[in-house]
Amino acid sequence: MSAAKRVQQWATFARTWHIFDCKWQDPYQSAEVIKKYLMGLHKPIYHSMNDCGDVVVCINSREIALRGNDWRQRAYFHHTGYPGGATWTLAWEVHNKDPTMIIKKAVYKAMRGNLQRRHTMQRLLIYPGEEIPEDIIQNVSNQIRQLRLVPTRLDHISEEEVKKFPKVMDYPQDYVLK
Amino acid sequence: MSFLTRTGYSFAKNTILSTSLRSISTTKQLRLKELREHKEGSSLVVEGVTVPSPRTELLIRAVNHQENPHQCKDTCYMCALNLDVKHTDVLILSQFVRTDGCMLPRRITGLCQRQQKKIGKLVTMAQKAGLMINLTPAYCHKDPKKRYGFKKFNTYFDEKTIFMKRIPKPTDRFER
Ligand SMILES: [Zn+2]
Repeated sequence: MSAAKRVQQWATFARTWHIFDCKWQDPYQSAEVIKKYLMGLHKPIYHSMNDCGDVVVCINSREIALRGNDWRQRAYFHHTGYPGGATWTLAWEVHNKDPTMIIKKAVYKAMRGNLQRRHTMQRLLIYPGEEIPEDIIQNVSNQIRQLRLVPTRLDHISEEEVKKFPKVMDYPQDYVLK
Repeated sequence: MSFLTRTGYSFAKNTILSTSLRSISTTKQLRLKELREHKEGSSLVVEGVTVPSPRTELLIRAVNHQENPHQCKDTCYMCALNLDVKHTDVLILSQFVRTDGCMLPRRITGLCQRQQKKIGKLVTMAQKAGLMINLTPAYCHKDPKKRYGFKKFNTYFDEKTIFMKRIPKPTDRFER
């Protein structure tokens, strides 16, 4: 095997580390994307018996955005196994307790339920804030594109820019300015 | 009888709650007004000054749009512009609200009924998402992360849900 081919062989089977910024992202939509990288579905050498999945580091998981009134309507079910041990926890209560749990459960649910899933989940690292340990950020070599644009707040736009922005609505002539 | 009670009620209301703001005016109103207060010696002078609108120069209208409603009957300026407004477009939506973040009524915005409903819902979405937090009442904390309970977390909205009631379900074959 030539030297170039040998390097190509290493590169093919090496684990790539991806980073994903969860800021203002829907966890259930981004789970479908993260899943592909975790299982290695984006690689041409993919096979279910082939251990070719990558590592995904999710940051800012505290800043995820849920759609509409999902925060108070989505319930997470847990059963202790004892009679009467069923609990339903709302999404915002889960997120208060553990800001990494919603995205973890979303990715876990997006994958098919077999025994490999537990091992694939070990390669998903979630951090609630922006701070990541130094030894993890060193490995990261790729960023997964965000699915939704992060919206800009009106008070973060400069006043001059708001004033200069083209206007659609004009006040009627007898409107009292306040 | 109801007319008499209404007149009496409005007269009593006007005498008790008489403000400087009257909806009836004897002179013709021409321009935008601004209330200015200043003191002259011991007396407080409140005067309504007509000012040119700050928005007139920046105003954007569609090419085929006429201001006269008789020439194009159903089309308001938002329909004529045909913009795809999202709830994150706060620079557009902030033009339709007061300083306390309340949606302006239709007689001021001059929109058609459907657009007024749509823009009103988009404003609500932007406010719930905390994107126009500086346009809120004075008692507001001005920080979306300090809100109570589930409201402190980020929320996004789907604009397709605005006129959801009018879209028939795929199972309703006969309504389509
Ligand atoms: Zn219209």
